Amino acid sequence: MITFLSRRIAAAIPILIGVSIVVFITIKIIPGDPIASLLGPTSTPEARSELTARLGLNRALPIQYFSWIGHTVRGDLGNSIAKQTAVRPLVFDAFKNTLILTLFAAILAFAAGLLLGAIAALRRGKISAAISNAISLFSISVPQYSIALLLIIYLATGTGWFPSAGMYNAIGGGGWGDLFAHIVLPGISAALVPAGIIARMFRSVVIDVMSMDFIDSMRARGLSERKILWHAFHNTMPTLLTIAGLQLGYLLGGVIFVETIFAWPGLGLLVYQSITQRDLPVIQAGVIVSALAFVLINLIVDALHATIDPRVRA
Amino acid sequence: MPNERPAPTALPVAESSSAPSSPRRRPSRRNFLAGVGGVSLASVLAACTPGAKSTSGSGGGAKANILVIAMTASDIPLLDTGLAQNQGYEGLRFVANQLFDGLTKFDLKQGEKIPPVIPGLALSWTANAAATVWTFKLRPNVKFTDGTPWNADAAIFNFNRYINKSAPEFYPALNAAAGLTISSLKSSKKIDDMTIEVTTNGPLAYLPSNLTTVYFASPTAVKAEGNEGFGAKPVGTGPFTFVSMTRGQQLVLKANPDYWGGAPKVEQVILRPIPDPTARIAALRSGQVNWAEVPPPDDVPTLTKDGFQVLTNSYDHVWPWVINGQKKPFTDVRVRQAMNYAINREALIKNVLQGTADPEFQAAARANAAYREENNLYSYDPAKAKSLLAAAGLPNGFSTTLSYPTSGSGNMVPTPMNEALQQDLAAVGIKVKLQPVEWASMLTDYFVGKIPGNADMINISLSMQQEGFWNTWFGAGSGPNVGKYNNPKVQALFTQAAATLDDTKRSDLYAQAVKYITEDAPWVFIVDDRNPRVLAANVKGFIEPKSWFADLTTLSVS
Repeated sequence: MITFLSRRIAAAIPILIGVSIVVFITIKIIPGDPIASLLGPTSTPEARSELTARLGLNRALPIQYFSWIGHTVRGDLGNSIAKQTAVRPLVFDAFKNTLILTLFAAILAFAAGLLLGAIAALRRGKISAAISNAISLFSISVPQYSIALLLIIYLATGTGWFPSAGMYNAIGGGGWGDLFAHIVLPGISAALVPAGIIARMFRSVVIDVMSMDFIDSMRARGLSERKILWHAFHNTMPTLLTIAGLQLGYLLGGVIFVETIFAWPGLGLLVYQSITQRDLPVIQAGVIVSALAFVLINLIVDALHATIDPRVRA
Repeated sequence: MPNERPAPTALPVAESSSAPSSPRRRPSRRNFLAGVGGVSLASVLAACTPGAKSTSGSGGGAKANILVIAMTASDIPLLDTGLAQNQGYEGLRFVANQLFDGLTKFDLKQGEKIPPVIPGLALSWTANAAATVWTFKLRPNVKFTDGTPWNADAAIFNFNRYINKSAPEFYPALNAAAGLTISSLKSSKKIDDMTIEVTTNGPLAYLPSNLTTVYFASPTAVKAEGNEGFGAKPVGTGPFTFVSMTRGQQLVLKANPDYWGGAPKVEQVILRPIPDPTARIAALRSGQVNWAEVPPPDDVPTLTKDGFQVLTNSYDHVWPWVINGQKKPFTDVRVRQAMNYAINREALIKNVLQGTADPEFQAAARANAAYREENNLYSYDPAKAKSLLAAAGLPNGFSTTLSYPTSGSGNMVPTPMNEALQQDLAAVGIKVKLQPVEWASMLTDYFVGKIPGNADMINISLSMQQEGFWNTWFGAGSGPNVGKYNNPKVQALFTQAAATLDDTKRSDLYAQAVKYITEDAPWVFIVDDRNPRVLAANVKGFIEPKSWFADLTTLSVS
């Protein structure tokens, strides 16, 4: 098991380096520079060239990259150009907020996805299955952006049940209740697509498993329905785990739209802002942290997978 | 923002080969469902129940005398004097002007006239005849909120921080951020404890206006925290003091009861960055904030109907198309004028902007001192546009390209606006191809004097808030003059104005320049924004000034 995990960790390192190179090159290729957006249209050319030199942005690109990665390896993520503050607390605070939203959305997505998937698989031919199928298809196809706005219109500004933006109230905010009220609408918006995907996947897995020979043989041996179902559920676990890992990863990276609409102070919003300001240190750190989280989640999934199914360890 | 949803998944959603169903299995399915479903349903329901009390109806802001502002900025501005401009004028409006003061300030307590420059931390000032050496008498009995006295030493310390490269307190980032405002300041020196002298590089008759945005920080606090650290614990003399900040979420300021200009009526001001316009209005409607900047124009009628205060006023803002005058056919002034006659500004304002802008028929905005009614040269006259085009040898019109930003500070709602103008111009035979450009990349090109994508024209919103901007936008050799406009008569008037101390005479000189610029039509003059903002009904006593800035001391929340 340990060799298996260390092999997987070693394999993650080139992935992270690759990601950082792609991000670096992309930001350098696209037009726009951070000095322009930081200093605004009223700045003088001298001030701009001075700041460019001070930030080391006039050095050759490979030197800029290696200097950045050298610091990053030592845990120094540098300073934000636009916010003039250390990147590390900025990115980690935002990541923590994204993680809260992601986990909440993941719980919603799994609860809804498993329920819909199970109904669709076990009640085939019934109206309830058709409805489940329709709901899961709808949730995959509907644009997140429109659903988020509809939720705001009807559940925030219309009824006033939920706040429409941010993580805590401006006045007297804080605490779990306040956080919960703020997380419901973005959580639902973010959970929609993964819920639909999980439902579709779970449906086909359950149908597969229920048609396997061992179900019939167990039944022939007179096992109770409860026991049979338990065995069937156990057999869906490896696939469920894989879906879980991937969907959690997608949620982490994909909540950017939701964070923007609901002004949720997460990593997606931070990276999105930083892209418009060409704030490379923040973009790099944000993407690396996201990539690292994605790799870690998959690592955990693989480890669990290996525990359940020893064949994977080979 | 793109509204496509992200690719949902890479996983194939496989339909399994369906197994023949047998009646035997029915009970098993039900049990399975009961198991999985019970758990899922319970958690879904639990999650969907509205938690705690949310900010419904009146909202938390209504109960206390606290103003909560939804800014358009994507983040809390930097809290160190001029660095607040990292979120544009909004940073100066809500942070720098509230925590700090300048030697001078704009009179924002009225909304009828263009805000005159009035004493701030200086009581009075005089200049030599050449407008190069200025003496400021400082306001006595003022203290920074940490108790440090305001005097000549404090003033010089701050000038050193801005401009004196050999002083230990010099802060390069601040120098860069203050840009044009301080670029012509040469030096400052102490005359006596309450008098300082400021020298400029050349005649600078409008120095008092520029100094409204040169802010003074407590020297004690800067020395204690260092230049970089000061922004985390800012201390000034302003109407509000710093309480706390959660980066990306909110900034809390509280009233300074000892403010020399009179204590604010409101207890606290909380700033929240909400860049998405729809989200800002949603936050206002759901009671999370009681002040929202720049609503989408389409929301204005319903907001008014629902009892919100939609406030607008002219300010020094223009929203033009800047024409590259070196390209054919724009080298012919008749072509540029034809474009100014071909567009229906009133229809644009009525249909797209819901009255949140004024039509512009000359080079000066309505809230600019150089605005003169008689300089309104253009009107909506397609027939005249056609005859001008015919006279220029283009009876059938021509094709051209326009670069425009898809978003960005002050750019209003660029896509529908430009599409409306495109239709007007097509009606006289001018076919405009619209090229959307992302704001950050547009700025980069713009600064080095380029129009993105090598288009013939660029749409960009510009400020006239500082007199120096006349030369920035229209001066020969100025980088951001991307249209390469050059009129020696205009240039001479700018130079003369910079040395004319009398405010009225100086604005007359600019008005003459405006007359020439309007006739030359280096831009298509389109609209002046009216700076719309929406306040909840319970915010009382705010006066919308003709300015980029705002005075928050007169208002209260009941």
